[in-house]
Amino acid sequence: MSGGPAVRVSIESACEKQVQEVSLDGIETYVQPLSMSQNLAKLAQRIDFGQGSDSEDEGGEGESRDQEWGKQEAEEDEATVKFQPSLWPWDSVRNNLRSALTEMCVLYDVLSVVKEKKYMTLDPVSHDVTAGKTPQVLQLIGKKKSLATAAQLLLKGAEKLSKSVAENQENRRQRDFNSELLRLRSQWKLRKVGDKILGDLSYKSAGSLFPHHGTFEVIKNTDIDLDKKIPDDYCPLDVQIPSDLEGSAYIKVSIQKQAPDIGDLGTVSLFRRQPKAKSGSQPWHAKLEAAQNVLLCKEIFAQLSREAVQIKSQIPHIVVKNQIISQPFPGLQLSISLCHSTGEKKNQKASPEKSKPDDHLYVLEHNLHQLMREFHKQTLSSAVMPHPASAPFGHKRLRLAGPMAFDKAEIASLQQNEGLLEKIIKQAKHIFLRRRTARTIDSLASRIEDPQIQAHWSNINDVYESSVKVLITSQGYEQICKSIQLQLNIGVEQIRVVHRDGRVITLSHQEQELQDFLLSQMSQHQVHAVQQLAKVMGWHVLSFSNHVGLGSVESIGNASAITVASPNGEFAISVRNGPESGCKVIVQFPRSQCKDLPKSDVIQDNKWNHLRGPSKEVHWNKMEGRNFVYKMELLMAALTPCP
Amino acid sequence: MGVTCVCQVPVVEGKSVQQTVEMLHRKLEQLGAVKQGSFCVDCETYHAGAMGTTGQPTKFLYVMHNSEMPLSCFALFEGGPCLVADPNFDVLMIKLKGHFQNAKGNKVESRGTRFQYCDFLVKVGTITMGSSARGISVEVEYCPCGVPNDCWNLMKEFMQGFLGPHTPELPMVFTAKPDGIYSPSDCSDTMAQYLELFGKVRKQQVAIGSSMR
Amino acid sequence: MEAPPVTVMPVTGGTINMMEYLLQGSVLDHSLDSLLHRLRGLCDNMEPESFADHEMVYLLKGQQGNPFLLRARRSLDRPASPWHLRYLGQPEVGDKSRHALVRNCVDVAASQSLPDFLNEMGFRMDHEFVAKGHMFRKGALKVVVCKLFRMLVPGNTESIEALSLSYLVELSVLAPAGQDTVSEDMRSFAEQLKPLVHLEKIDPKRHM
Repeated sequence: MSGGPAVRVSIESACEKQVQEVSLDGIETYVQPLSMSQNLAKLAQRIDFGQGSDSEDEGGEGESRDQEWGKQEAEEDEATVKFQPSLWPWDSVRNNLRSALTEMCVLYDVLSVVKEKKYMTLDPVSHDVTAGKTPQVLQLIGKKKSLATAAQLLLKGAEKLSKSVAENQENRRQRDFNSELLRLRSQWKLRKVGDKILGDLSYKSAGSLFPHHGTFEVIKNTDIDLDKKIPDDYCPLDVQIPSDLEGSAYIKVSIQKQAPDIGDLGTVSLFRRQPKAKSGSQPWHAKLEAAQNVLLCKEIFAQLSREAVQIKSQIPHIVVKNQIISQPFPGLQLSISLCHSTGEKKNQKASPEKSKPDDHLYVLEHNLHQLMREFHKQTLSSAVMPHPASAPFGHKRLRLAGPMAFDKAEIASLQQNEGLLEKIIKQAKHIFLRRRTARTIDSLASRIEDPQIQAHWSNINDVYESSVKVLITSQGYEQICKSIQLQLNIGVEQIRVVHRDGRVITLSHQEQELQDFLLSQMSQHQVHAVQQLAKVMGWHVLSFSNHVGLGSVESIGNASAITVASPNGEFAISVRNGPESGCKVIVQFPRSQCKDLPKSDVIQDNKWNHLRGPSKEVHWNKMEGRNFVYKMELLMAALTPCP
Repeated sequence: MGVTCVCQVPVVEGKSVQQTVEMLHRKLEQLGAVKQGSFCVDCETYHAGAMGTTGQPTKFLYVMHNSEMPLSCFALFEGGPCLVADPNFDVLMIKLKGHFQNAKGNKVESRGTRFQYCDFLVKVGTITMGSSARGISVEVEYCPCGVPNDCWNLMKEFMQGFLGPHTPELPMVFTAKPDGIYSPSDCSDTMAQYLELFGKVRKQQVAIGSSMR
Repeated sequence: MEAPPVTVMPVTGGTINMMEYLLQGSVLDHSLDSLLHRLRGLCDNMEPESFADHEMVYLLKGQQGNPFLLRARRSLDRPASPWHLRYLGQPEVGDKSRHALVRNCVDVAASQSLPDFLNEMGFRMDHEFVAKGHMFRKGALKVVVCKLFRMLVPGNTESIEALSLSYLVELSVLAPAGQDTVSEDMRSFAEQLKPLVHLEKIDPKRHM
């Protein structure tokens, strides 16, 4: 330990063995020492368990010594038993110890019961010597009395028991309330004010500036009648929401034409009952969500009405009670209304509306909610912290305006903030324009069979812009007649038409314009088709014009015309097609084929016979063929000489 | 902002300032320029009063505003650094009045009409000091370009169209920069040009004053 | 938060007579976390933001009277943001019952040329320091918790040394003159921070 080499010390027990015998030669024979177990057995044999078994009740010093013995013994004994379980001499010891332990346990229990004084009390037993000698009456009275006390005791105990059971139940409900509260806390903002628990269901923390406080109160719903059956949807926690947020609400957006033929805008049914709360979710949760929805609807409506009053437009927006009316296009009315129904009144309120055709614009309703959330987010993100930290709060970009010397346009772009109403009106305009375009194309397609018109709508579109590809074809000739392909970009106020060759035409929102335009395109298509067909048939195009300056004036667009000559140049077909006047087909024959042509003095030589002669109009209606191009093909085939 | 050139146009002999301005307007409108509201550039002069006694020459601090940049305030020293700040700088100057006195009588302003001609912005203003008109300023900005070298010839040609012989040379502020006419211009260049112009007008007044004596 | 209207004529003047209401205190480094935790709970629902600023204090000495003091501050972690030039007036004596220190205040956002320009104006830099910390807001209330650093080499914001083992806590509001209700709000807010930090009305004059 201290550095030097350890000194080895050997320890040997001194010889203390008993000498058994000293032989004559002086050799001492020792008694062989007992082995450990032998020693133990020997010691154990000295114990008299019988003597100590009932010693507990007796006091005395000798007794305690005995017990000490016992203890020591027990320790050693147990160790031995563990190691040598089959050692029979120890069995009695074990049995004795076990019974002792049992008795000790019983004693301990009795003592604790007595000490608790809850279930049993000990009274000193009066050793009435005279008891035996008392008369029977007294004995009876005594017995009665003691029975009564016993009964009383029992009753008391029973009462205590039932009380504790009730207490347990109460505790459990309290626990339920607390666990519910914990759940509520994990989903809603709560705070304690005085002895009340108040919650916040407003969107303030999300950036809302709506002044409604949106506070609800958490109520403990634990004192219900124990005797009655607890209802299934019982919840120990209830919430009290402000009366103006009760019930359910929604924003209704619809477009009405003053004319009655508007049925095509709306599609689905009116107010549906709020679906029952999903099983598994708490009743308070459904209640709070409904209230929050009412609050958001109210905020949206308040914001819209504020903007409706502030924004100057050519036709002023009208705000009446719970409705905002605006005119996106002349003769069209966009109405946004807040429908708020509180439970019982629902039936009365809904009935007058039910009579009207339902014309919800669900997309816009959804978008309004989305716009409101965006607005919230904007207010949150615009309130950024200033850098450096000492600078005052304010709009971050606006703080740059001074030192970066922003000019008016830049500042205006910072401030430019389109309101909710403006955005929704723009969206409504677009939706309306899109639907009307679709309807115009569809009605044209169903009305006019030749040429055919096809519309391919793009699946994905912007809230303010969508596009459709319009193809005008002739049935059976789709492959060769692909001249007219239009891309219609439908915006908010107007429709931009992009031709395949890149020409752009802008149409206004007026329905007639689009219809006229498509009609003129269809008329042009026919002439284009003749041109394409001529190519295939080997005819030559002599002249072609999209806009003919001659002939009767069309009310829509211009007529177009084409003249084609047969491969050998003998025949010529002229086609004039106008959107209004329809088509006129003229065939010019070679002079040689006209026998009835008067002989002229001027043209005497035979070669002049190859000049073209007179023309005749074809009775197009009487031609066979399912459509214009087919008829034209037949005509061309007829006029082409067989090889 | 684009490259900007500010110059003074002399009053036509025999005509008043107002008449000369109207002539310019007419010329611009004949070119096809469109009137687009009005503009105003002003300049306040402060002198460091307490500094004078220490023997240094009195320094002038100029605080300017331009309606084109309505949320900015420009503070300049002649030939020195230019500070661009927000309008609160004016409030600070009030706090600093113990050290910088506002020479009220020296306030110069140029007000007038703003014209737009394609990519050019032209501002014709009447320079006033106190209550009297002192001259005419013409500011021409070529919006799409920020480097003087790239567009100076174009601007010159455009200005010749309506200024004729009074077309200015390339402003000093551009040539004085480290990279000369190749470095981009900014709003402080414009303000420096106005400051220079206003300085000229102020001296002119002194000249007039002395000649009258 | 509303932007001023864009007018054709230049805006001269700016906002006149703004007052800064201020309460100050400090916490030791080890209790910073619990203070930040508390502030996160009390303040507006946004991510607490940290900052690192460099502040220079300029003096203009005149012939007579007190020197004129201006503070120029720039953000180190956001170099693109403008400089902040600040004038702070003498604390108002006012009535003793007011809970916060009140002083006149002019905030100017300025371009990068600010130091050069101040030199040209005759200002001389008195001292400079770096402040790093966090800021919170609750409505108009601004709470700044920051540590101040001494600069070992003038002008070099890299080599810095902490001034103390504690953080400075400042609660401030900017309001037009005469809005004393603000100080009431500040007091109740300071009350809620109480065992963590004691925010008090500290007159810098007394410590000079």
